[in-house]
Amino acid sequence: MIAGLPLAFTAPFILLGLIALPLLWWLLRLVPPRPRRVAFPPTRILFEIEPKEETPARTPWWLTLLRLLLAALIIIAAAGPLWNPPPAGSRAGGPVALVIDSGWPAAAQWESRMAAAEAIVARAEADGVGIAVLASGAPPKETSLLRPGEAREALRLLAPVPHTPDRNELLLPLGRLLAAAPAVSVVWLSDGADLGDGEKFATALNQLAPGRVSVVSGGIPGAVALTAADNAAAGLSVKVLRAEDSAPAQGVVRARDLRGLPLGDANFMFEAGATETDARFDLPVEIRNDIARLEIAGERSAGAVTLLDKRWRRRTVGVVSGSTVDTAQPLLAGTFYLSRALGPFADVSLAEGTAPAGAVERFIDQRLPVIVLSDVGNIAETARNRLVRWIEEGGVLVRFAGPRLAAADDNLVPVRLRRGGRTLGGSLSWEQPQKLGSFSADGPFSDLTVPGDVVVQRQVLAEPDGLLAERTWASLADGTPLVTATRRERGMIVLFHVTADTAWSNLPISGSFVDMLRRIVALAGSGTAAASGTPSTQAERGPAPTIAPSRLLDGFGAFTAPGPTAKPIPADFTGRAVADHPPGFYGPPEGLVAVNTLAPDDRMAPLALGPLQTSVEPYHQGEAIDLRPGFLLGVFSLLALDAIIVFLLAGGLSRLTRRRATAATLALAVALSALADHRVARAQELTQAQTDFALQATLQTRFAYVRTGNAEADTLSQAGLEGLSIFMAQRTALETAEPMGVDISRDELSFFPILYWPVLPSSPVPDAATLARVDTYMKQGGTILFDTRDEFASGTGRANEVTPSLARLRQILSGLDIPELEPVPRDHVLTKSFYLLRDFPGRFTGGTLWVEALPAATEEQEARPARAGDGVSQILITSNDFAGAWAVGRDGQPLLPLVPGEPRQREFAFRVGVNIVMYVLTGNYKADQVHVPALLERLGQ
Amino acid sequence: MADKADMREAGAEVQASAYRAAHLVAAMPRLVLEARRIAASVYHGVHGRRRAGPGENFWQYRRFLDGEPANRVDWRRSARDNVLFVREREWEAAHTIWIWPDCSPSMLFTSDPKIAPKRDRALVLGFALGELLVRGGERVGIPALMRPTASRNVIERMADMLIHFSSEPPSLPPLFHPGSRDEIVILGDLWSPTSDVTARIATLAANGAGGHVVQIVDSAEETFPYNGRIEFEEPEGGGSITIGRAEAWAADFVAKVAQHRAAIRTETARRGWSFTIHRTDRPASELLLALHARINSASDMLPQRQPATQPVEEAAL
Repeated sequence: MIAGLPLAFTAPFILLGLIALPLLWWLLRLVPPRPRRVAFPPTRILFEIEPKEETPARTPWWLTLLRLLLAALIIIAAAGPLWNPPPAGSRAGGPVALVIDSGWPAAAQWESRMAAAEAIVARAEADGVGIAVLASGAPPKETSLLRPGEAREALRLLAPVPHTPDRNELLLPLGRLLAAAPAVSVVWLSDGADLGDGEKFATALNQLAPGRVSVVSGGIPGAVALTAADNAAAGLSVKVLRAEDSAPAQGVVRARDLRGLPLGDANFMFEAGATETDARFDLPVEIRNDIARLEIAGERSAGAVTLLDKRWRRRTVGVVSGSTVDTAQPLLAGTFYLSRALGPFADVSLAEGTAPAGAVERFIDQRLPVIVLSDVGNIAETARNRLVRWIEEGGVLVRFAGPRLAAADDNLVPVRLRRGGRTLGGSLSWEQPQKLGSFSADGPFSDLTVPGDVVVQRQVLAEPDGLLAERTWASLADGTPLVTATRRERGMIVLFHVTADTAWSNLPISGSFVDMLRRIVALAGSGTAAASGTPSTQAERGPAPTIAPSRLLDGFGAFTAPGPTAKPIPADFTGRAVADHPPGFYGPPEGLVAVNTLAPDDRMAPLALGPLQTSVEPYHQGEAIDLRPGFLLGVFSLLALDAIIVFLLAGGLSRLTRRRATAATLALAVALSALADHRVARAQELTQAQTDFALQATLQTRFAYVRTGNAEADTLSQAGLEGLSIFMAQRTALETAEPMGVDISRDELSFFPILYWPVLPSSPVPDAATLARVDTYMKQGGTILFDTRDEFASGTGRANEVTPSLARLRQILSGLDIPELEPVPRDHVLTKSFYLLRDFPGRFTGGTLWVEALPAATEEQEARPARAGDGVSQILITSNDFAGAWAVGRDGQPLLPLVPGEPRQREFAFRVGVNIVMYVLTGNYKADQVHVPALLERLGQ
Repeated sequence: MADKADMREAGAEVQASAYRAAHLVAAMPRLVLEARRIAASVYHGVHGRRRAGPGENFWQYRRFLDGEPANRVDWRRSARDNVLFVREREWEAAHTIWIWPDCSPSMLFTSDPKIAPKRDRALVLGFALGELLVRGGERVGIPALMRPTASRNVIERMADMLIHFSSEPPSLPPLFHPGSRDEIVILGDLWSPTSDVTARIATLAANGAGGHVVQIVDSAEETFPYNGRIEFEEPEGGGSITIGRAEAWAADFVAKVAQHRAAIRTETARRGWSFTIHRTDRPASELLLALHARINSASDMLPQRQPATQPVEEAAL
């Protein structure tokens, strides 16, 4: 195994032969190439010539190098190089205990791990030894050596678990196995991630089987995980974790809603060496609130999925203030404190510049779940009625007391109030300012600690009645209510008996204020949470209500139905998923509770294998590849090269002229010419196809349509243009051949006078090169008739509705240089080029035919019955589906019905076609033609 | 082990010889035809010795010159006239010419497969020359192989003899004793050591025989168009030398060859022989014509041998 490279040799000792290469170098340097032998009669004369002082004829260095390379290749090939060798595992050939990390970090590269396990099983099979399989995700009570076939079966059944298993649970069965069979060596297929149990396990493993452990780790991308999703004011952020640098350094976190539709993507990128980074979604709050699942695109593991339930939901709270001086002195305004307190968990929408009634109505229109009325007294009748209806439909109304409320009289309060406020600790009062006494055990504040620093100086008092106690969520030390609430149908009214500013109490500047508001806002729009706070369900609340699993994640991060082992979670379950409580959604669909694989403060660390003191092999992706054929091929190529070089060195060039080389030359020439022929033939083929196309297109005049790739649309275009051809042949002098479909990206367009281009919502937008071709076609006098064919669909809707086809057409046209367009004016030559037409119906009649705008009519032209610009409009756009109206079948009968189907509509549709074709073919000639009578008259005929 | 290796070597040697012999036999008919062709072309342009000399056939009567021996007078003819006539006969003294075509392994060398090896050129020349000379009335022989003959089918006989010659023919003509009026034609590459070549020429010329030395070479043997690291080996003798950068040796080689040739030329000139250099990429008939003319002119001077024959310019043939 070469460090860092998945390369190994089956017989590495042969590589020692490489040591002999320097010797070979010396020998090769010494022995010159063999001379050419020539029988030469006057050789004797040569004997008499003084020998020349010659440089010794040595092999050129590059030839020597070539030969050394050849020798090295032979040696390497003989050593049997393998790319992606199977893991070596135990070298002893004894029984193997296969310890497999099957937690979620292993899921993403599960196939590679299983391939490694397969390889080890295969070798055990070859060695004829038993193999035990221990998966950390499902620690067995007992384990024993299996036959390889059984081990394969066990591996086949193995799947990664969605939670983080504790590897140490394997130590007990492994210890028993090793005690029973001491010769067993251990192979640990590790996932490379340490979530708190790695070091201990490694140490214990080393004690269990010292020196007999080999670890397979790395070599494949490491695991990436998501945790700690936080829906903050600025955006939804989520932490991306990794254990080591081998994991992908960047990627995309995708947000999906409950139905799995993608809502947005956020990129993340790890700094080198960092194990943690953030991904942030900058989406509108409404969309962020729909996010139910965050996942790392392309990472198939439960750890790469974070599920979000309503706890992450961010609500918009509408705040309406009754006072008017707020803006002048912001620190005295109740809205200021409310905005600051609501800010961390909700978006605050302030009503500014409008009357409270108007603001309330606006908020109701915006369907806000929570509306805060800060010291608003009476609300206008209509607004109040809507407010009541809104509450009954589930809205949460939070009111703060104040002078106006105290003076007002309305029913939008949870308890009956006594008129006027109560002042504590004032100059005219002998009572001390009251501290906050207690939170009701039944209310949503039950788990808050009672702050000692909240002091209330004034409050509004409730009329005492029997319901007051159960409607009180928080009360002062003297028992008077501070916060009361009641349910109205599905909604709720909460009243703070103090103001939202610090005039009556210092509650708005205490930390408890934020917590209280948070809990109140959390009630909005969530059935169960709201239910838990209402008196009607108090009795049903058991000591530990449980929530049954509904949709769980498997190890790969996909939703599955809950299996038999998944147990319900307690209602207040927090923390990470465990084997009994796999990650996923629990509870009924309207009140899902998310359980995630990782807790927010979990971090991944690289697995410390130090205690094991063993070699670590990487995983290998893909099959083991025997590199010998490649090396041998290299050897033979070099041999051939060497032969050629030697031939040339020994005067081969001069021999080339002789007979002996003729054969080789001939063969070479034949090969080269065959190659050239092949290329030429291909080129000719290409031009042949183009020539055929050009001949077909030009020998007769043809209409053409753009093939969209949609077989139905293409058939219709073909049939439509055929129908138009027949009609034209019957009524006009123009006889065109069968229309042709063109591939807009490849075929030459310049042969066609008009190109019919049906635009479908699914049409791909042509690439830039194609658009350039289209542009050229139009600039050089071609006309394109775009047909969105959706007048019927768009006609029902609003006037400026953009249909998908139209949107696609706009996309296409955005890449083209399009002149100004206008609906065909009454005096446009299109209306008179053959038939006199008033409008341009196709299958539908409502669409407009758009044409290149004519220059403004001059005085002189005003009088003319027809106008035309210079040349023909490059572009015609309709939505009337012309081809659909023209389409005729083989029997000459129309293929499609018309809408609305007036008797002469099809006739007129054909006439439109005739006019368009005539316009395209004759240009402004027809516009001049209207003057013929006048000209003839002037000529005196 | 050594024996076995030797045996294997010997076996290879035998095999090579057999191959060479077979090669020679296979090439022979073609060479014979070629020789006849170029001999015919030369023959039509040259004619025999139409002149008086020691022969048997009547040639002419001429006036008796004073001082001539009286027994030369043809009294029968003189009786018919007032003038003394001498009856001359045509010159018919048969003349022996020894032709030595070198068939040693080194002659098989050719730098360009399109050009025939030197041996073929030597054989063609030898045969054609033999044919021409026999037609001209001379007698032609091959040293140590064929006794001089004037047979009409001299080419076939020469070929026959050469085929049945030793499997390892020597480069230079063997030592023999030519008559003092004989002529020797050596057709070979003469790449044996310079001293061997000059010594052999000296020995053969010692008796007063005339001769013509023709060095038949391949173009590569003159220009040395080699580069790179090359091991050169002798086809005969088995010596070899490895040269790192052959191109650096070319100049020296050319100089040495010139030296070698100069030595041979000096020796031939001294003996009154001719020395010609012939490259296999030149036509054979050129050399044949020149050689034939030279042999004839040499024969003319037979009675009073001129000591020096003009050497042919090196570059010429």
